[in-house]
Amino acid sequence: MTKLYSNKVNIMLFILPALFLFFLILVAPIFVSGYYSLFDWNGFGEKTFIGLENFRELFTSKSIGFKKALGNSLLLAFFSVFVQLPISLGFALLLGRGRKGERAFLSIYFAPVLISTVVIGQLWLKIYNPSYGILNVVLRAIGLDGWAKIWLGEVETALGAAFIPTLWQYVGYHMLLMYAAIKSVPTEYREAAMIDGANEGQVNRYIVIPYIKPILKVCTIFAVTGSLKSFDLIYVLTNGAPLHSTEVPSTLMISMLFLRNRYGMGSTIALLLIVLCFAFALIIEAIFRGKEDR
Amino acid sequence: MKKVTALLMSLAMVASLVACGSPAASTAPAAEAPAAEAPAADEAAPADEASAAEAASGEKTDITMWCIAVESDSNRHSYEESIKDFEAAHPEINFTWEAIQNQDYKTKIKAAMAANEMPDIFYTWGGGFLKEYVDAGRVYCLDEAFAEHADQLPENMLVNHKFDGKLYASPNTFNVVGMFTNMELLKEAGYDKVPATYDELIDCCDKLVAKGIIPFGCSGKETWCVTEYLESIVEKSVGAQQMKDMYNGKAAWNNEDFINAVGIFQEMIDKEYFDPEGIALSDNEIKENYKAGKYAFYINGTWNCSDFVNAGMGDIVQVAEFPVINADKSKLGELVGGPNDSLAVSASSPNAELAAKCAFELSQGICHYGYLDGNGLPAWTPDYDTSALNPLTLAVVDIVQNSNATVLFGDNFLNADNANIYLDYVSQIYASAIDGKTFADGLDADLKH
Repeated sequence: MTKLYSNKVNIMLFILPALFLFFLILVAPIFVSGYYSLFDWNGFGEKTFIGLENFRELFTSKSIGFKKALGNSLLLAFFSVFVQLPISLGFALLLGRGRKGERAFLSIYFAPVLISTVVIGQLWLKIYNPSYGILNVVLRAIGLDGWAKIWLGEVETALGAAFIPTLWQYVGYHMLLMYAAIKSVPTEYREAAMIDGANEGQVNRYIVIPYIKPILKVCTIFAVTGSLKSFDLIYVLTNGAPLHSTEVPSTLMISMLFLRNRYGMGSTIALLLIVLCFAFALIIEAIFRGKEDR
Repeated sequence: MKKVTALLMSLAMVASLVACGSPAASTAPAAEAPAAEAPAADEAAPADEASAAEAASGEKTDITMWCIAVESDSNRHSYEESIKDFEAAHPEINFTWEAIQNQDYKTKIKAAMAANEMPDIFYTWGGGFLKEYVDAGRVYCLDEAFAEHADQLPENMLVNHKFDGKLYASPNTFNVVGMFTNMELLKEAGYDKVPATYDELIDCCDKLVAKGIIPFGCSGKETWCVTEYLESIVEKSVGAQQMKDMYNGKAAWNNEDFINAVGIFQEMIDKEYFDPEGIALSDNEIKENYKAGKYAFYINGTWNCSDFVNAGMGDIVQVAEFPVINADKSKLGELVGGPNDSLAVSASSPNAELAAKCAFELSQGICHYGYLDGNGLPAWTPDYDTSALNPLTLAVVDIVQNSNATVLFGDNFLNADNANIYLDYVSQIYASAIDGKTFADGLDADLKH
């Protein structure tokens, strides 16, 4: 066995299929996107080399509105980290203590992750429907007629209305990751803290949360990069409307590629998304490492 | 032994992945695709020879088609019937077709064009949508096949499918924007006929609003629906020719008549003529509301005639032309729409010449059944009994017979990029986020001609 693994040719042969797939599926498309981002191209006609013009236009053109889309994604990332993750952590801490019906609650909280996003989108479209949606029906029933709105149709409310199901859907996902980590905290640590007089809040704060920091880092990376890449639910709920108020880079990319026939510009957005996701992953990694060093 | 097997399996996997790669010939770049120009005799010959050889040997020629006539599409029946007739008449052809939902179709066709993996025949809209593919050399010229049908397909039906004098698609039906009016609701406002002048329309809307009836329902979620209203108002304010010139970049959008027209549209919104909930609803939802009697008017394409008749509204609904707003610039008979829905042939089709003949036959059949079903007017001259046409379609026939000019829907007239810039601005107008002047200045600055 040792002999087999010490032979570099053998190692290369073992790695080759995975490496080949990795390059084919992940690395090559990045370079291809980078290449096409330098062209004015509709995807099927002749390409015209324009250098970095697509990047300049992306950040300056009002009709594209990339800055607004990016801002929306960053806002979603903010809410994911500071609203979604704390809620997930709260649920995970509650369930992690071993309560009655723990498994049933786990399944219930995780259910939205299992349901197709299109189905969730359709459910929330019905909830938000201005005429018969349950939200407006309830508001009107309790006398708050003035609060009833066209939730997905008004610029002031559409973004928030689209964010709520997006955040809600993945609470269970992060909760499950954190729950698994919490379950791995040795009971001796908890008991020792309890004997020293720590209450439950203190145990969570000083024992559990520091212990599960690696998984918190993973959740933060997933939440931020997931927000930057968010697409499906926004696409179903609003597709960027009204007036691009709910536009995110991914919906903009689809619009450029398939509606406006601007393959070069679509590739530029794709490339920027990849770069941003990598950059944020590295920043979060550095932040968590910095805290560990302290 | 296990290790040797593992190594062999790894090698087999790599080999299979390499083998799965497309051969160089199938990924030929766009520039190497067959030319879209009229087929040269020597290019067409192999297809003909191949078809003849296949027919002689009893083998069927494969012809594929993509379209948007999904189950819920009002044109589904006309496609099915036309294909049934076609298959009966051509046992030597193995015909397969696929229907894709409208929006998904635009995505799919774009991807197929990019990969040069088009079906032989494909549904297309006329104007800018088709032109981009023609410019890229992806569409087969139909001039030769058209010669056989020139007496059945009038020249004025080909305006949106001809580029540089060459024909690239066979139109099926002809549709214009109509003002569908619920006469029962109008009676409540004291009107027993559709308002014939703009002043009457405004008076009628005011009375409807006073009675608590919403005059218009329009989907803001699907911006093309807003253009049906806006373009009707603009055309009847600036005139058909001026409108065409603005689309073509020959005239500036920033002109007084256009800005006034946009102002009129926004004033209608301000006066609550439009359902405010419409901004978040799809066209289907709006249409259902209209059928349920929520709105007095629904301005949209005349392909809706059959829908309303089938919904039992044939006696309640009347269709009319939008009234003239500025009589100095426009007149009755200037309409938004034209021959648009059509079938084209892919330049990369191995049987392009045969597919071109098939496309014309299918197109004629779709036109025939579509017209009888009430899905639009015929682009082809009818040579069949039309006495059973529904009253709404007959009213549209009357409108079109009195028409003197048509301007294609803006988002079809313009190419994909310009069309989406235009639709963006239209959605801002509908949401009253900008005024007419900003709209006009924006279009002048952003549309690329």
